[in-house]
Amino acid sequence: MVGTPVDVIPYIRGIQLVLIGYNGYTKGSRIENDKIIREEIARATSRVRSHMENIFDIQFREGNIGLARAAKRCMEECDYLSEDVNKAASGMEHAFLSGQHSPSNKDLKKLIKHDHEVIEMITKAVNIANSSEHSMGTEDGNSKQLVMQTTQMITSCRGFFGARMNILSGLKSKKKRK
Amino acid sequence: MSNYRWRDSPDTIARLVNADKIQTMSSQQVLLKPNEACALIVDGRVGDILTETLLKSMAGGFARWLGDKVGVTANDRRLLFAMTGPMDYWIPFEGQIANGEAVKGFANFRLRMNLEDVPKLLNYFANNNPTLTREGLIGIIATEVRARVVTPCLATCSSAADLRSAMFLERFEMTAESEMRNLLSNLGFTMLKAFPITNPTDMEKVAEHRAKVQAQMDGNQVNVEAQLAHFSQTEALTLARIEVETNVARAKARGQVTVELESELKELRAQEAKWDSEINYERNKMEIRVDEADAKTKRAMDMFAQVQAKKADRIANQQNFQQQRMDSQNDFQQKMMEMAAENGALTPEVMQEMLRQQTAQKAVDVGRTGGVNSSAKVCSCGTVLQPTWKACPNCGSPIV
Repeated sequence: MVGTPVDVIPYIRGIQLVLIGYNGYTKGSRIENDKIIREEIARATSRVRSHMENIFDIQFREGNIGLARAAKRCMEECDYLSEDVNKAASGMEHAFLSGQHSPSNKDLKKLIKHDHEVIEMITKAVNIANSSEHSMGTEDGNSKQLVMQTTQMITSCRGFFGARMNILSGLKSKKKRK
Repeated sequence: MSNYRWRDSPDTIARLVNADKIQTMSSQQVLLKPNEACALIVDGRVGDILTETLLKSMAGGFARWLGDKVGVTANDRRLLFAMTGPMDYWIPFEGQIANGEAVKGFANFRLRMNLEDVPKLLNYFANNNPTLTREGLIGIIATEVRARVVTPCLATCSSAADLRSAMFLERFEMTAESEMRNLLSNLGFTMLKAFPITNPTDMEKVAEHRAKVQAQMDGNQVNVEAQLAHFSQTEALTLARIEVETNVARAKARGQVTVELESELKELRAQEAKWDSEINYERNKMEIRVDEADAKTKRAMDMFAQVQAKKADRIANQQNFQQQRMDSQNDFQQKMMEMAAENGALTPEVMQEMLRQQTAQKAVDVGRTGGVNSSAKVCSCGTVLQPTWKACPNCGSPIV
């Protein structure tokens, strides 16, 4: 993308609040933008996992196997997401006649929106994970619910992140009706 | 430009390369795939951590040699390569469960290294050789795994069956996750999964052998039962066939007997009819004979009756005759007596003579009539028998 389209500027600004070096896949920086997006998702995932590790350790040592099991399940889901992100397809300019699809500007616009939504989702997951650990500390009884909510959010994020492959491969997807 | 290969074996996990030791004419480049990472440690400081990139001019080459000589490059450049993808590690262990059974097996750990954790491998390379392999990592963590994970988990198993339960596997994984985090975190690894694989214990082998023997016995028992069932079926079939044959034979015999009986019955009926006819014939004959006899008897009786009647007539006639003769004789004698009396000739002698003649006359009459009465016989049935009869005409009994 030579020039930044106006309609994706809000999304770019939103991502830039989290990732300072992000510039919306401008020409010459696509690889770096792609990497920092994925690294940010992986980092947020590791944050969620760290919270869940804390919950798991404490609950397992206290013998609360039910909550420990839920936290372990969430950690496994984080591992899956992290592996998906680390081994995900990257959108970049490919060599001439390499037989690979290079994303068009339209694809990149979609990708920017998608990145923004994924980061929002994973950020929510981090917040819920943080709340669950906090809830465990305050013993308000919502820990298990929050842990399971985190697991659900991570699972959703994993599924949503999988749509990135479709965007990069230029597949048409149905617009969501509001 | 030549390609540098930091990993020449699948067992290699990480390698610390001193870039200064790579002295080649051509500069070296290395391609980092998504599951590989390289942390740059320049002058003792951790620099960038690279992945999914082509690291050009990492070492060697004239330009770098010249820079070293001039002193414009870093004094110490080390490259820490590591695999970031999940890898499996098999840690052998031996232990005992609560009942004293020895347990041998392997603990499987699936470990992954996060990109930002790659520099933590320096903790390992500080005291070990610059290449980390699976064996090297297992050698480091095995003792702690056995002490912190395997032994406590085995201690909670009261029997070999507990080793196979899902609860044990879950407890093992949770214990490993909790207890091994410290060491693995220090080395930069993240545990994804852990599970034990235990060999069959001696008691399990015994149980397996027992189960095999039992299965064989059960199989034999099933075969025996099947054979018995087969025999029973055969027996039932044979008995049924025999019964059917018997029934058929019986029915045949019964039919034959019935036929024979019917034929005999027919014969008997025929015989009966014959006998009936004979009886009727005989009866008729007898009746005829009886009729004849009756007729004869009747005729005899009639004749006898006629004879009796004639005899009665004759006797009556004789009696009449005698009566008449006696009357005439009495008259005559009376007249003679009167004449004698009138002529005075009636003397006792005349009277005596007259009585003598009269008595003689009576004797003659009685001889004619009274002789019959004295010689007549009477049958037991009361019939008066004539001297000429040989049997009683009334009852048929012979006259002796």
